[in-house]
Amino acid sequence: MSLKQGAALALAIATCVTGAAWADTIKVGVIASFSGPFAQYGTQYRQAIEAYQAQHGKTAGEHEIEFIYKDVGGTNPDQARALAQELLIRDRVDYLAGFTFTPNALAVASMATQSETPTVIFNAATSAINKDSEFFLRTSYTLWQVSVPLAEWAYDQGIRTVATTVTDYGPGIDAENAFREAFEAKGGEVIDEIRMPLSTTDFTPFIQRVRDQKPDAVFAFLPGGPPTFTFTKTYNENGLKAEGIRFLGTAETEEVNLQGLGDAAIGLTTAYHYSGAHDSDANRAFLAKLNELDPKAIANWASVGAYDGVHLIYQMVAAAGSDGPAAVEAVKSLEWESPRGPLKMDPETRTVIQNVYIREVERNPDTNLLQNTEKGIIATVGDLGWDK
Amino acid sequence: MGRFVPLILLAVAVGLYFLLPYNLAFLTRILIMVLLVLSLDLVLGYAGIATLGQAAMYGAGAYAAGLFAIHVWADPLAGLVAGAVAGAILALVSGLVILRAQGLTVIMLTIAVAQICAEIANRARDITGGADGLRGIRMDPVLGLFEFDFVGQVGYWYALIVVAVIFCFLMVLGRSSFGLSLRGIHESPARMGAIGVSVYWRRVAAYTIGGAIAGIAGALTAQITQLVSLETFAFVLSAEALIMLILGGTGRLYGAAIGTFVFMWAHHTAASNDPFNWLFVIGAMVLAVVFLLPKGLISMPAALTQIFKGGRDAGT
Repeated sequence: MSLKQGAALALAIATCVTGAAWADTIKVGVIASFSGPFAQYGTQYRQAIEAYQAQHGKTAGEHEIEFIYKDVGGTNPDQARALAQELLIRDRVDYLAGFTFTPNALAVASMATQSETPTVIFNAATSAINKDSEFFLRTSYTLWQVSVPLAEWAYDQGIRTVATTVTDYGPGIDAENAFREAFEAKGGEVIDEIRMPLSTTDFTPFIQRVRDQKPDAVFAFLPGGPPTFTFTKTYNENGLKAEGIRFLGTAETEEVNLQGLGDAAIGLTTAYHYSGAHDSDANRAFLAKLNELDPKAIANWASVGAYDGVHLIYQMVAAAGSDGPAAVEAVKSLEWESPRGPLKMDPETRTVIQNVYIREVERNPDTNLLQNTEKGIIATVGDLGWDK
Repeated sequence: MGRFVPLILLAVAVGLYFLLPYNLAFLTRILIMVLLVLSLDLVLGYAGIATLGQAAMYGAGAYAAGLFAIHVWADPLAGLVAGAVAGAILALVSGLVILRAQGLTVIMLTIAVAQICAEIANRARDITGGADGLRGIRMDPVLGLFEFDFVGQVGYWYALIVVAVIFCFLMVLGRSSFGLSLRGIHESPARMGAIGVSVYWRRVAAYTIGGAIAGIAGALTAQITQLVSLETFAFVLSAEALIMLILGGTGRLYGAAIGTFVFMWAHHTAASNDPFNWLFVIGAMVLAVVFLLPKGLISMPAALTQIFKGGRDAGT
């Protein structure tokens, strides 16, 4: 290595470790999926980031903020780590953001810690992620955070027996554990725990098994898109709804796929932190800006996770510029009004404390579109899975 | 000319280190992928075993090295051995069954083995971390001297040396009587059988060696990324490795290296210039190579010579 290159490299490392305090443009590296089957998530993030910048300008404090997008495809920790390294060393970003899948976030934990780079997770919902780095902040939710309130609410509604049906993979099992623990603690009974293979396309046997046992309700956790669609359709066709077996879910009725579910979805009950139909000025302004930039844009959990993530980054930049530890310290107890409702950062778990809403799918008489109408609020829920 | 190609490749790899000091993580990923594609070249290009499941051994090596580092010993070289052993055992056990079949059945079975491994890793959450990935891998310095650094310098040299050693090993193997018999089996299994070669056992041996090398590649990725996910068993990985091999040209070691490099480089450049539509570029590139250079990029010099000569001949 020539002396010049050596010096350049040393400088690069030094700036990325100590933070380029003199830089007036602060760069944020966004690692997310922009291609392949999960490209929708990346698109949602980008639309939300652009909406935030259109609303609040491109400067925070005295610094201009620039976003650099990197495509990680799907679950690909090797790629996530390589991209993070490239962003930190070559592009000299001061903040990292994005991360839809848990392994991708975990892969950059040690780098975030070593380089003292605040990293805002827009989605990855496994509780334990934030234990891996002091520089991880999360603006999405955890599965415990929404499943536990749902179980408690269900018991309070007089539901005593539940069959759980979850897709057999990490998040599904998390949801099953969270729901069972909370429901049994209340005094309810989980009479059957069904785990369905990820590749299931015909849910009839599982639904039939639930029907035979006649529980008061069926708790479901499925990945978004076609599985949810088929599951809810099967749920209706097999007469569970008619027999009074209620549907309890979380992300199943998220907005991007909601219209596709059609009338079959009407009446589905879910507990979740964001509904596109949330009644507040902040949400209306967010939706208006989103649709102004792209008329086809639909706001869902991914959009609001990114939107609040950008807000957090703006606050950190305004408070501490590119000084990583100070930036994290500055927002550890931040409170703000998000499109989803009031938010507060939990200094211990570094995940947002938020309201969980009990919603029911209805058809909006004005727009004739399906929406998640909020029917109840469980206020200020933190990450309940932190100590599990 | 063929004799100098490996040296040129080595010079390129060393040169890239100085030219692109900010992209070492990416370059290291290329090196690891080269190793996986080399193992595929041995199995497919030399021994003629059509496989779409090389990721099974890669993943086994990655998990073995990861678990070995967490529970037994965090020494990198010992981890490589653990990865190689895991890859070899899986290849041997599955190979004994798979290689009794022929043609399409072999492809199906190799895919099945990778899927089964992925499902086992998914179920054994307590050991492997399931869909969250295996974490907590912290490596000791290489040889007790070189600690893995943030920029990835040590990781790069470490991977480069491992790849170079394996490359030399495969060069020797390719010229040994064993390697020649593999080529013979590739050309005509019936004839090799007729002259007294045990086709089945030679194939099992080649599959096992290929498995060990894929296991080493997996171990490298586990040590450098410090995380192993279920995706190490992914079908996409096996398929991409195959595309890289075909792109470069099968049956030649440097074909595997060149194909991997070109594919990943195009992938990286296209994806960073346009993170939204880059797949189109990759598709166009693969199509162009398959149509214009059916024997892969290594046949480019020959093809160019032919065009040049053809033009002159037509003129006279």
